[in-house]
Amino acid sequence: MSEFGFHLAFWSLAAMTIGGASMIMVSRNLIHAVVWLVLSMLGVAGLYLTLSADFIAVVQVLIYVGAISVLMLFAIMLTPRAERDNSSSLKTAGPAGVVVIMVMIATFWVAIDTDWGSVREAALTDQARLIGESLIKHYILPFEIGAVLLTAALVGAIALAREDDEDAAVHAASLQAELDGREFDPVDVVDPPLPAVLTAELPAEPESEART
Amino acid sequence: MIIGLEHYLVLGAILFCIGFFIALSKKNAVGVLIGVELMLNAVNLTLVAFSRFSTTEIALSTQVFVVFIIAVAAAEVAVGLALALVVYRNRQTISVDRTTLLKG
Repeated sequence: MSEFGFHLAFWSLAAMTIGGASMIMVSRNLIHAVVWLVLSMLGVAGLYLTLSADFIAVVQVLIYVGAISVLMLFAIMLTPRAERDNSSSLKTAGPAGVVVIMVMIATFWVAIDTDWGSVREAALTDQARLIGESLIKHYILPFEIGAVLLTAALVGAIALAREDDEDAAVHAASLQAELDGREFDPVDVVDPPLPAVLTAELPAEPESEART
Repeated sequence: MIIGLEHYLVLGAILFCIGFFIALSKKNAVGVLIGVELMLNAVNLTLVAFSRFSTTEIALSTQVFVVFIIAVAAAEVAVGLALALVVYRNRQTISVDRTTLLKG
């Protein structure tokens, strides 16, 4: 990569990342904030490419840009409009700003002042194969634990988020009542009145013995 | 000027601080989660930068570490959003200011 192209790529991707992140801070609508988050994460994926980490860049696009942002959008859409407010809390913004500025000074100081030692010129080649091999050789135990963690998290998320059968029945009945223009009482769903067939007088027992 | 390790470290630090501020100051629980995601991204960026500019053995293990962080972040988001939904269902709000059941 030519020196000028590299500079252009780094600075524009850095601007994209920081700009997207700042817009999350500013925007009042949560859906807009998630879209700005997508922009910021695409910028980070591009920065991975400038660092020659192609596998990580693809994983970043697949998981963050593809899956996590869509999951967030779903969660926002499942809560009504009133919960799309993304404003900052005035009570905590002041102290948070002070803490963040202190953290920023400390991290800048460490990043710039430390001697990070010798710099490697060439990037690692054939990274996807090397990562895969070390995942199933050196890191086989964390790999398995990660699989168990993901399974547990998914089962837990489904168990938390799914509605009870009773809730779902009430919800469906209220929608139906709204369509029909009827009054709706949730008690009817939870403890429905017996159908007319059951409350009517039972017919006399048929004479079964006569038939046999 | 050659773009080196320090550029990426400072960029990661800025991104981390923005995410930290969002996580501390936003009212909405999903907004707080977005801030946490930005912080995780900043840490990943720093790790990948170290992997590019250090010795080969360190380079590999850092990238594997980044893969694990991404996997754990995905699990965290799934559980966090499910929790937000449950909190909304029970209390009709996901504002972290108004979810004060455990406040003394």
